[in-house]
Amino acid sequence: MIPNSRIQNRIGGDFMTQPGIAIDLILSKLAEDAEKARTLAEKAPEVLLGPLETEIATTPCDVVYEEDRVKLKHYKPATKIQLKKPLLLVYALINRETMLDLQPGKSVVQNFLQEGIDLYMIDWGYPTRKDRYLTIDDHVNGYIDNAVDFILKKHNLDKINLMGICMGGTFCVIYSALHPEKVQNLVTTVTPTHFDTDQGLLHLWMRDMDADQIVDTYGNIPGDIMNLAFLLLNPARLMIDKYVGFLENMDNKKFVENFVRMEKWIFDSPDVPGETFRQFVRDCYQKNLLIQSKMEIGGHRVDLKKITMPLLNYYGKYDHLVPPEACEPLISKVGSKDSENVCLDTGHIGIYVSSKCQKEFVPRIAQWLKQRTADKKKLKIKKMSRKKSVTTKTAPQTKPALKTKKNK
Amino acid sequence: MTDKSHEKTGPETFFSDWMKMTTEFWGPMAWMWSAFHKTNDMTPDSTKYGKKPRIKESWDTAQKTWQAFSQVMIEPETMKTLLKGAGMLPEIFLKIAQTGSKTFVNFQKQWLEGTGKLQESAKTYNLEDPFEAWTQLYEQEFRKFFKIPQLGLTRLYQEKMIRSMDKFNIYQAAVTEFSRLLLLPMEKSFQVLQEKLAELADKGDLPEDSKKYYQIWIKILEGHYMTLFQSSEYTQSLNKTLNAMSEFSAVKKEILQDFLNMLPVPTHKEMDELYKEIYLLKKRIKELEKKK
Repeated sequence: MIPNSRIQNRIGGDFMTQPGIAIDLILSKLAEDAEKARTLAEKAPEVLLGPLETEIATTPCDVVYEEDRVKLKHYKPATKIQLKKPLLLVYALINRETMLDLQPGKSVVQNFLQEGIDLYMIDWGYPTRKDRYLTIDDHVNGYIDNAVDFILKKHNLDKINLMGICMGGTFCVIYSALHPEKVQNLVTTVTPTHFDTDQGLLHLWMRDMDADQIVDTYGNIPGDIMNLAFLLLNPARLMIDKYVGFLENMDNKKFVENFVRMEKWIFDSPDVPGETFRQFVRDCYQKNLLIQSKMEIGGHRVDLKKITMPLLNYYGKYDHLVPPEACEPLISKVGSKDSENVCLDTGHIGIYVSSKCQKEFVPRIAQWLKQRTADKKKLKIKKMSRKKSVTTKTAPQTKPALKTKKNK
Repeated sequence: MTDKSHEKTGPETFFSDWMKMTTEFWGPMAWMWSAFHKTNDMTPDSTKYGKKPRIKESWDTAQKTWQAFSQVMIEPETMKTLLKGAGMLPEIFLKIAQTGSKTFVNFQKQWLEGTGKLQESAKTYNLEDPFEAWTQLYEQEFRKFFKIPQLGLTRLYQEKMIRSMDKFNIYQAAVTEFSRLLLLPMEKSFQVLQEKLAELADKGDLPEDSKKYYQIWIKILEGHYMTLFQSSEYTQSLNKTLNAMSEFSAVKKEILQDFLNMLPVPTHKEMDELYKEIYLLKKRIKELEKKK
């Protein structure tokens, strides 16, 4: 190889040419890499052929309520319950709720239990062809409402805490606007409510999509097609770099186990009920009706001003699926006087699975809920102080990853 | 042999004699045939109901027709007319041949015109993008052949088959175009990587670690994909592919449904109707239960 340029160095008073390309170094590095690859190839079979712990969603729970394909899971407490009002987690219809309980020690579910929260979660199951006619109304005013009623009755309560993830968050926003009397506090995480933005690729792609034709042809939207679309959001990272990373770490049992767990979750994609998809694309992505309080569900208008309960809105700064622009405006459109935006320095999934966020995300939500579920007297005092903080605009907490915006 | 008899030795006499001979041959044959059938067809059943056997009946009719025809044909007037017509035969053949060749020439002319039009169209289409050009060419020049009206009892099925071929072609074209778009960043990223490496080499900053080269490339690739995904060309191509896939899938299902209709299994369409009824009934029951 002939170097393109030569650097002249003066060594010992003489000018001497040295190649611009350190071929010797490159070659020695290559030799080193080859040796590493050989060791890796020797060790990898031991890991891949040996026993691997790749189970997901292992936190003990009971299915306490079932309706059609939908199940309500109640998690067994890990410590003394510190919050009287249970928390109901509502996941999206895309992929599965197992993401919140991917592995022991790195599980949102376990962290909530450690915080003494009485936890319920909806498992949407796997829609089949017979579910193609289910609308958003059936999910929100049907399954979610029935699950909430079941919990309220079981605990003899009038309100519960509600937390939604992604599309599940959008469902929770709709539910809280239609049934505010049943929701004590609302937590939305990576929840799209404002769809008219060019920031997220999904928002761009959905704008001109002919949802009618796709739904009429397929009935339900196949999970594999959805998955392919998500992979195409970043093929360089999701289809190449990820697996290069796997090849480099195949000899690391822990790494392989975590990688396989993630793969299990990512490619476990139930189909999405056709009519729900049609309505979501048309009313949300294409007409952006929700944020304008113009969306109609089951014959009722979803008026965001009716969301008067405290609202905590989490989102990721680098989320390519639901960008900050799609989440942020919610707090300014609701009727609640106690609403907060929290932006984390992470992506769509990172909020739930990254070690850094795991340490901050759940404890903070638990603390926020505990503060708001205290007795009325204390709550009033806190509300007064929070109203003040609206004007003073609290600075981000000591944790650098958190960026807090109080009621803009 | 008299002169008169000599006069009768023309084609007229020859044809008349031949007709006579044929009739004379088929006459006894017919008689033998009916005699044979008489013995064979006299089954108790056929006589019982006073019916004539079907084969014999049709044979008799054919024989009568032939005899009548022969009688007419051997008449001298008919012979004259026939021979006169035969004299005109070359003229008729010539006319038919002329019409045929004219049709062929016309067809050839149309074909040449069509090819010329194709070449012309190909010039007007975007040749820098051959896939797009092919799609346009297909849609404007070839697709019309798939729209020729189908006729007859099975026209509906033919139409579906032809529609599926058409939709498949459209789908193929869309997928090819979409795949080409997806490969563009790959192509460009390698180009940019080479430029970048040349630049680094010039500066003497080439990395020693091979992984660094990969990291540079993957970053470039990611950037190119992001640019592509935000472009309107990509969104258009994506939607076009999705629509083409749906359309092809729909017509494929229609054909499959036609086949399934012949089997004792319910089709998707029938199941969907049933599902909808169940869905509506369940919804109603749940509402009533809640009102309780």
